[in-house]
Amino acid sequence: MKIKRRSSQAEVPSMAMGDIAFNLLIFFVILARAEDDSHLHWEPAVATEITASGAARVAVLIDSDNKFYVNGQQVGESQLAGEIDALLGDAPAGERVVLLKAHKDAQAMYFEPVIEAISEKGGDLVHVLEQRQE
Amino acid sequence: MKERRRRKLLAEPPASATGDIAFNLIVFFLVCASVQPDSGREQTLPRSEEEEKQQQPAENIKVQLTRDAVYLNGSVMPPADFPGNFRQGLNRALSKATRQSDRVVVVKSKPETPYSYWITITELIEQAGGVVTIQREEEEEVIVPGT
Repeated sequence: MKIKRRSSQAEVPSMAMGDIAFNLLIFFVILARAEDDSHLHWEPAVATEITASGAARVAVLIDSDNKFYVNGQQVGESQLAGEIDALLGDAPAGERVVLLKAHKDAQAMYFEPVIEAISEKGGDLVHVLEQRQE
Repeated sequence: MKERRRRKLLAEPPASATGDIAFNLIVFFLVCASVQPDSGREQTLPRSEEEEKQQQPAENIKVQLTRDAVYLNGSVMPPADFPGNFRQGLNRALSKATRQSDRVVVVKSKPETPYSYWITITELIEQAGGVVTIQREEEEEVIVPGT
């Protein structure tokens, strides 16, 4: 006796596609967050004349606890110059922008070494500030 | 004659599309968040190598900062008239500058000087046409006699 084989159709449910995409997105957002510094606590100083800074290769942040971060990764004061140099590489002039995001109450003993390191490595320093409200 | 009751039409969006809608909403908000650019102030610091090449060392204007006071060429700027007095003093000093190197203003800050105060002062210097350069306090080694 011949038995007919049923052809089984195993399809991925289309209902789940949205969930898959959502989970993928969450994964990449978390991955990107590691390079981001939006989760760090700092308040910018104010200035009267500010301009849009544009894209930057490097962002150095000094948070409210006077800790140093380069592109979201915590570093020590002695590592600053090396990290900046490695990230700037051989970038041509005009593409060597380094953003300095220092907490408004950060003291000179913390922010001056950063400015010095940026200048030493040939970075174009841009202070990230907030517009003064009149 | 009795009229037939009209059937109510239920036009529900397909449930399978809610995932896609949510996905598109997330993408929209993510793009909105990432588009916000940082804004600030560009600062060009003169390189020390260039200064060394000069044969005639320039008499630079010196600004010293403490937590809440500012000194221009050694004289304190009374806070009552600040920033008018500081601006005036700077303009007077910079008007004598003939070379670009004379426009360099050396800013020396005490270690406890806050960043917000430093930004205010350097902004005033740049507005007056000065070029800011920093001079860090050198660590002094004190030898106590008899030790």
